[in-house]
Amino acid sequence: MTAQPRPVALLAAAPSFDLDRVLAGIDTMAAQKPVAAQIVSVANSDDTSARVLADILAADVALASRVMKLANSAYFGMRGRVTTLQFAVTVVGFTTVRTMATVALTDLDDESRLPENFWASTTSVALAASLLATRFGERPQDTLCLGLLAQVGVALLHHNDPDGYRELLAQESSFPGRRAAEVRRYGISGMRLTGVALEQWGFPHSMVGPLTVVDDRSSSDGALLRVAFEVAARLTEPGYEAVDVAQLTDGQLREDAVGPVLEQVAQGAEELRRAMLDN
Amino acid sequence: MTAIPTAIADPRVAPEIVSSVFYGAAVSTSLALLVAETVGGEPRITWGNEGAMHLLGYALEDLRDLPVAHLLPSLRGGELKLLLRRERTARMNLPFRTASGVFTECVVLCTPTPTGRMWNLRIVSADNEQERALRATADVHERRFATLTERSPVPTLLSEQGMRLAHVNDAFCSLVGLQSEQLLGTGWMACIHPDDLDGVIEQVAVVLGGGDGEAQARLLQRDGGERRTVIRFAHLFTPGVGAGFVASIEDITERLAFETRLAHQANHDPLTGLPNRTLLAEHVAARFVRGQAGLACLFLDLDNFKVVNDSLGHAAGDELLVEVADRLRAVVRPGDLVARFGGDEFVVVCEDVDEDDAVTLAERIGAALAEPVRLGGVDVRPHASVGVTVQADEHACADDLIRDCDIAMYQAKDGGKGRITVLDHHARAQARDKLRLVADLRDAIERRDIALQYQPIFATADGISTAVESLARWQHAERGPISPTTFVPLAEESGLIGALGSLVLDETCRQLAEWDRLLGADAPRRANVNVSALQLDANLLPLVVAALSGHGLAPGRLSIEITESALMKDPDSARTVLQQLRDLGVQLAIDDFGTGYSSLAYLRHLPVDCLKVDRSFVAEIAEGHTEITTAVIALAGSLGLSTVAEGVETPELAAELTRLGATYLQGFGLAVPMSGAGAAAWYAQRASPPGSAVPGPRAPLP
Repeated sequence: MTAQPRPVALLAAAPSFDLDRVLAGIDTMAAQKPVAAQIVSVANSDDTSARVLADILAADVALASRVMKLANSAYFGMRGRVTTLQFAVTVVGFTTVRTMATVALTDLDDESRLPENFWASTTSVALAASLLATRFGERPQDTLCLGLLAQVGVALLHHNDPDGYRELLAQESSFPGRRAAEVRRYGISGMRLTGVALEQWGFPHSMVGPLTVVDDRSSSDGALLRVAFEVAARLTEPGYEAVDVAQLTDGQLREDAVGPVLEQVAQGAEELRRAMLDN
Repeated sequence: MTAIPTAIADPRVAPEIVSSVFYGAAVSTSLALLVAETVGGEPRITWGNEGAMHLLGYALEDLRDLPVAHLLPSLRGGELKLLLRRERTARMNLPFRTASGVFTECVVLCTPTPTGRMWNLRIVSADNEQERALRATADVHERRFATLTERSPVPTLLSEQGMRLAHVNDAFCSLVGLQSEQLLGTGWMACIHPDDLDGVIEQVAVVLGGGDGEAQARLLQRDGGERRTVIRFAHLFTPGVGAGFVASIEDITERLAFETRLAHQANHDPLTGLPNRTLLAEHVAARFVRGQAGLACLFLDLDNFKVVNDSLGHAAGDELLVEVADRLRAVVRPGDLVARFGGDEFVVVCEDVDEDDAVTLAERIGAALAEPVRLGGVDVRPHASVGVTVQADEHACADDLIRDCDIAMYQAKDGGKGRITVLDHHARAQARDKLRLVADLRDAIERRDIALQYQPIFATADGISTAVESLARWQHAERGPISPTTFVPLAEESGLIGALGSLVLDETCRQLAEWDRLLGADAPRRANVNVSALQLDANLLPLVVAALSGHGLAPGRLSIEITESALMKDPDSARTVLQQLRDLGVQLAIDDFGTGYSSLAYLRHLPVDCLKVDRSFVAEIAEGHTEITTAVIALAGSLGLSTVAEGVETPELAAELTRLGATYLQGFGLAVPMSGAGAAAWYAQRASPPGSAVPGPRAPLP
């Protein structure tokens, strides 16, 4: 009897995949989109002002209009009152501007080059993280951005191995399962790759740190992101079997707090997706 | 010490310099350096400086050959590649495992050598004391701020981005009755009344731009309640993050309700709850546009309200007013205003109507009011006289319109009770003219432009005049002389009689005192002053006392003349006032005696000294009818009173009246009224030759 190779075994390694090439790509991206790269590098320095960022942003019409669109979106509740780029930067905050520049830098704004449902799950993770941030002593703005960028690494893996990643996705629908499969196939999880990229671009370690410990249930630093992925999974994965958030957070959060968050995320995710992208 | 790898030696740099730099790096304790190399397919440490040994706790011998993965266990699987890049420098935050097994958080900067076979790792502990201290201070600040707002009884919001809240305190949660999870982000926007939200966002926009601001907003509570609040915003800037705001909320619901109550009280009648005169004026003024039509006022005055008040009591009167107010409210069209003008007067204001519509409404009101109302066990049918005015071109302002419907109401009243009258323009002109005259009269009294003239009164016994009657005269600048028969009733109607009476009393006393100085014993001994029925109250005595004492006169120098009809209005009260004056020593005379309906019984009890026979009876003497004058003189004589015959026009009449027994005579035939100075000259002239028994007619002196 001939043993059939298991799919996992098939995914265990991707000889054609070169992590060095992926990592090198992170550097070349910056060269291709200098405005976005400049925003990424200066946005969070202490002496940055809305005027400085707006002046830089003005050179990239697509990115600037996206920031304006986001500032006037329901997420910030300003109802069309944001009419200048500088005020838009003030409203969305510097970290968000930096996040949007990162999105542009990594081609995340082109949905055709991303895994299926990438933005639906990304905005859900981001909104959930932002809504629960204060429960975990975090700043909502930072956690929104972390959520938006958490899957940058996934996108990078997908860019470099579209067919392989699609196959991986088909076999592992849950977030943690997918991360494990990524490690098996690429030697690194998408989330870990995100951490490397963000750190390389100078995002603060306090923001990047949770990415490395998201699958370590004993780590309280990863708890918020774990819950955010749990909320996103409940909303975006058909037939998903919910995990008790108390287990995910070592009792820091209870199930009864999740209801209103699920509701708000369900309402706001699509709007946020539209604001982040051009269409 | 390990030899310097020649590969990194730059041929342009002298070996001594390279050696010197390496030595400095090797012994530095503030700088931790490691060199790694792939040995046997695995990256291993090949060298470390003093700083690295100090930081990680290893001796150089133990460090050498140590797999990099052992120092950095968090880089699992192929993740070491992330740090040990061949093409570029990598920077990562990583926990290092020290010799004791304890982890220390570090930032590591990994630079590959040009050959790509070795890496230089520069390690900085992320856990240094300065950073810890800074973080601790920041944490303390944040905790203080959180404690301050969390426990503050003032509802407080904190946004870090746009309208998105990062914090709400318990006080805000309990104000709106929601949990903080429902309010964070933009959730709180649902608590703001939709009509107020734009104003709030407007202010937030200003505040995020760097200013301060406040907005009034209604907050919706979970239980359906609503609170009126002032939200005060302050700009909040976090370096490297952006702008937000802190907002504190003041609940002003109770204060506004109180102010509204006060405003309502100021503009409404407490009895009926209807708008009062002030609000009526504002309401009409707000709708009045000169030259337009369609605005109408209906002025209602209840007929016989005084009867209800007097017979059934004030409580019943109030009940009636409330009932009338309710009926008016029910009968007018939506949007019409019903106001209580005062007393038993109401005004209805309607828009977009013509005269026919207004009259129809007035009729409807009349019908609604006529339904019986039971008061104190009695069925009363209220009726009202209604004056109607529709705005026309001649109305210059809102007040004109209200004034005209008032006039129309008086016209209705004059025509008989329970009538509806649309303003007659002629009557309006008359009424307006009267209003102007009242204003002029008020000015004349204030400026003491009312002049007094004095007509001598003669004793029949010796023909000598020792008394005068003060007569008020008003010379109007444009209209010429105005008769007292016009301006005295006008003063009575318009509440000016007190001031006029006071002026006459005071001026008469002043004149008497002046005559005393000029004429000595020849000055008139007494002056008669007319007093209106309306002055016959408790104020009269102090007024008389003040006038006399003000000019140093004895009470006997004054005689107060009161008409017979005035005395009969309220005989008991009149008697009290007269008695006080009499007790003071002032003389009292009944003027125009015989023209009213005196009760002889009362007359006997009234403390008077003199009856003045009305000029109409005196005039009858010339026609041969002496009956009434004879009877009056006889009546006075039997009561011990003196008499003054007025209107003595001829010497014959004077002789006849003397014959009939009149005590004193007064009339144009004897002496005309004169100014104070004229009278002084007249008395001075009369004093020199002894007078005849019956005075003859004389020409007036200036």
